[in-house]
Amino acid sequence: MRRTLVSGSALFLLLALGCPPAADAQTRDDTLVYALQSDVDTWDPPNSVLREAIILGYHVFDHLAVRDLKTRRVVPNLALSWKALNDTTWEVKLRQGVKFHDGSPFTARDVKATFERVLDPAKKMTARGNHAKIKSVEIVDDHTVKFHTDGPYPIFVERLTALVMASEKVIKDKGHEWMQEHPIGTGPYKLVKWDRKHEHLLVRNDEYWGPKAPYKYVRIRIIPEQATQIAELISGGVDVIKAVPPDQIDVINKSGQARTASSPILRTAFLQLDQAARSGPNPFTDRRVRQAANLATDMDGIIKHVLNGLGDRVATAVNPMAFGFDAGLKPYKQDLAAAKKLLAEAGYPNGVDIVYNQGPPTVEPGLLQTDEAIVADLTKAGFRVKQNYVGDNTVFVARIKDSKAGPMFSFSWGYYSVFDADAILYDIFKCKETYAYYCNPAMDDLIIQGRSTLDQKKRAEVYAKAQKLAFDDAAYLFKWGLRGVWGISNRVDYQAPPDEVDRMFLVTPRKK
Amino acid sequence: MKRYALRQLLQLGVVVVGISMLAFAILHVIGDPVLLLLPLNAGKEEYERYHKLLGLDKPVYVQYWKFASRAVQGDFGKSWYTDTPAFTLVLERMPPTLYLTSAGLVAALLIALPLGILAALKRHSLVDNLCTMLAVAGQAMPIFWLGIMLIIVFAVRLKALPASGYGTWQHFLMPAFTLGAFLAPLTMRLVRSGVIEIMNMDYIRTARAKGVGENTVVVKHAFRNACIPIITVLGLQFGQLLGGAIVTETVFAWPGVATLTVESIRNQDFPVVQCAVVLLALIIVSVNFLVDMIVGLIDPRIRLG
Amino acid sequence: MKAVSARGEVVLEADEPAALRAGPPRMSLRRLWRFKWGVAATAIILTIVGSAVWAPWISPWDPLSVDIRHRLGPPAWMDGGTRAHVLGTDQVGRDLLSRVIYGGRVSLIIGVAAVLVSSSIGVLLGLAAGYFAGRMDWTIMTLVNVMLTFPFVLLALAVIAVLGPSLVNMIIVLGIADWPLYARVIRAETLAIREREFILAGRALGMSHARLVFRQILPNLVSVIVVIATLQVARVIILESFLSFLGLGVQPPTPAWGNMLGEGRVYMLNSWWIATFPGLAIFVTTLAINLMGNALRDWLDPHMKL
Repeated sequence: MRRTLVSGSALFLLLALGCPPAADAQTRDDTLVYALQSDVDTWDPPNSVLREAIILGYHVFDHLAVRDLKTRRVVPNLALSWKALNDTTWEVKLRQGVKFHDGSPFTARDVKATFERVLDPAKKMTARGNHAKIKSVEIVDDHTVKFHTDGPYPIFVERLTALVMASEKVIKDKGHEWMQEHPIGTGPYKLVKWDRKHEHLLVRNDEYWGPKAPYKYVRIRIIPEQATQIAELISGGVDVIKAVPPDQIDVINKSGQARTASSPILRTAFLQLDQAARSGPNPFTDRRVRQAANLATDMDGIIKHVLNGLGDRVATAVNPMAFGFDAGLKPYKQDLAAAKKLLAEAGYPNGVDIVYNQGPPTVEPGLLQTDEAIVADLTKAGFRVKQNYVGDNTVFVARIKDSKAGPMFSFSWGYYSVFDADAILYDIFKCKETYAYYCNPAMDDLIIQGRSTLDQKKRAEVYAKAQKLAFDDAAYLFKWGLRGVWGISNRVDYQAPPDEVDRMFLVTPRKK
Repeated sequence: MKRYALRQLLQLGVVVVGISMLAFAILHVIGDPVLLLLPLNAGKEEYERYHKLLGLDKPVYVQYWKFASRAVQGDFGKSWYTDTPAFTLVLERMPPTLYLTSAGLVAALLIALPLGILAALKRHSLVDNLCTMLAVAGQAMPIFWLGIMLIIVFAVRLKALPASGYGTWQHFLMPAFTLGAFLAPLTMRLVRSGVIEIMNMDYIRTARAKGVGENTVVVKHAFRNACIPIITVLGLQFGQLLGGAIVTETVFAWPGVATLTVESIRNQDFPVVQCAVVLLALIIVSVNFLVDMIVGLIDPRIRLG
Repeated sequence: MKAVSARGEVVLEADEPAALRAGPPRMSLRRLWRFKWGVAATAIILTIVGSAVWAPWISPWDPLSVDIRHRLGPPAWMDGGTRAHVLGTDQVGRDLLSRVIYGGRVSLIIGVAAVLVSSSIGVLLGLAAGYFAGRMDWTIMTLVNVMLTFPFVLLALAVIAVLGPSLVNMIIVLGIADWPLYARVIRAETLAIREREFILAGRALGMSHARLVFRQILPNLVSVIVVIATLQVARVIILESFLSFLGLGVQPPTPAWGNMLGEGRVYMLNSWWIATFPGLAIFVTTLAINLMGNALRDWLDPHMKL
């Protein structure tokens, strides 16, 4: 009997203590730890809608062009230069001497293969829409390619920052499935290990063509609990976290271990109203109801009191940092009486029932709190809001794509980091686009017109008209341009990125 | 003993079949998988096509048979979200959960055994009352609250332990204690009542009357026999522990199967949910079987009963 | 033969069922004094139930009224606290005291309703298994075994994820979670009672099964059922907070203790009161229910093994 007990407890002890994996080889000093709230679904960035996939992509892959974080202009990267030969042809010169992680050289063939893969309708790649204007890619020589576009394509260069370069060999030999878990890029880091929903381990690519990253290892930890993330940051376990809730800023700053940094980011938040009736008939198909919603909410007050000022009120969904933003358009101001009157005119004198699908606060700071305030305001105007909280971002996005998110849902758009009004208007305001719950032929005309004009002054005029239309038609319930808040450990130096793409290869040890 | 083992094994088989049916029912009775997969505005034709594709046009028992015969070979289909086999996904995440639950069990025993025995021996004393209060209080505490408090005290304030994650033995301490605290109250009550019961038995009184030392009585006679219900319960607690593990894993960012299951439930990723539920149940059932065997070995009466 | 309740408490099958021992409990002051803890607990529970029932009259504010200008206000006795909000305000400026009072309403409704569901199912099946024995018994007990083995929390989550987290769904799911416990105990008791003379006599007289079961057997089991049910209310309240923590509980803005605790957890390092008071409410309530349940058991039948 005693033996059984002893061996039994020994077994438990063995299980409990004996088996965990050996401690990692890297030390704390040469390792940078970055936390994400949720994991990526794939390591194939153009096949994912998640911001996390874009961020991870920057570490292992390179883009033809990147944004200079100071000037916010697009500068060469894997491409050395580009020029428009005519309205529909662009020539791009490529960098020489760049190698993929598997040792093969980066050439024009890889660029062609990468674009063709994304553009192949059969593959159903998420990023296809971003590049749909490209008709074909032509190899001129090993390090020169020509892009043929479908009509003039003014944001061609901007879009070069939105696709990671994969290798032709991998695309042809290994195939799509393999690429979901095995990223082979030319980037500053290589993927060592991916423990799904737990951790990514990256190691520095010592043969990188550009400046070498200061830290040899980057651990990307998935920590779903915000409270736990903050605890990790201020106890020294994690070096960089993003999307810090505004109410937690003082906790971090007072900890002596870490500090916060904020930056306006290229992301606008709003509530989508199902004007297009994608989820079936609903009150928001009536413009007056949409206007009433916009008039009901005191967004300025919410920014001031709930977000501690961390937001920039906008009249529509176009971000102040994007090209084409019309600063002259004044946002809606709260006017409950007018809102009630409009609701009554629309046939809802006694109020109207609305289901509100809420996503998790993965990218939008303070989302849960601002949502409560918005719902409270809407209620005052006669909207009886039933909140439906969806806790997982992947599910939430899937639901939106599946037309199941109406009649009202929380949304924010990061422009795929393209600083241009087109990057939101096309995806969010054009009929039948994946995320658009708004459909208006007049708007479509303006969007197409803007896309097909190379003259930037004329484009700005077109976008001003589009914003006026979106405002007058109260296309969505407009909120604000976001400011991101990062938590940064005092042992490192790091600048908050305006495009929301955290780049761990730019983090340096703090000078003492 | 052989007959006893066979009988238990048979019961185990029945339970496993029952559980696989329940897991199957989650998908096919409660929800319509086609509706979950298709957009709302999909046409009737598309619906029918998917319906056929998933084999839903066949009678339920045929569907179940297909599910079960594949499941036996470890084939639960591919995850709807990540396109990887559900079985691989679940298996990958199984070890951390098993380590966590085992460690939780050990922690629970470390708390519950001494307190339970102490309470039983000093029955109706202040110590006993305190232990009982502690147990009741422990039961009344939501464990995620305890987990967050531990993080704040030991990681943030004292900086003595890593706040979350998985890897070294330090990472085990807080999650194991959290889970242990979840299980300890019940175990303690059990130990207490078990020991009390046995201390009143004739043979203990006889032993005492014979002048055997009190310590020997407690250790050799009483505790030994009190072990039987404790072991039994700990076996069954494995299922309960998993419930606690879900929350513990979430708070401590522990990469286990419990969080995977919750996530998959939220994602409505049913192949993964089914696979996880069946595998977890299999483990629980096997643990119970082992426990029955151990108890049967210790106490021959049980074999006959 | 082992017998273990859903929460893992051993219900060692008693050699003689409670019903055979239980005499009518006598009332006297001295007896009451022996249960002072139980009495105190009962008083606390009555207070909580009372405040939940009369919530609209006693709570100082509307629990849903948002006031973003007075967010994160500390309790009255702290610096910056005001008398207007005794327990402070939450992350959107709602009065915490009012929310705790109204939250009790929701939590208690869920607890009591779920227990009604689970005890009805469990008692019926337990009676059937014990009374008819044989194949019926085998089937029901196999079902009980499956349920006890199944990681139930997972099933509850799955069902709620599919059906959606409404109040009614939560009650149903939590109710179904717990019935095996009742079934197990009731079956054991019934098995013993059915062989007693008055039942045998009734059978000989040709009484119907229904009459025998509901008129003759059931009344003997009331005290057992009452005790289990009381203790289970506490468990359901805790389970509700689990589900809320995972985002599958009562949906905001409706206050329930569980979801208030869940929403406030990120504020633990600064505005600690948001999570602490609902947490305290859960703690005190379940503690009191447990104490009351234990006292009830000792009072009704000191030998009952639960």
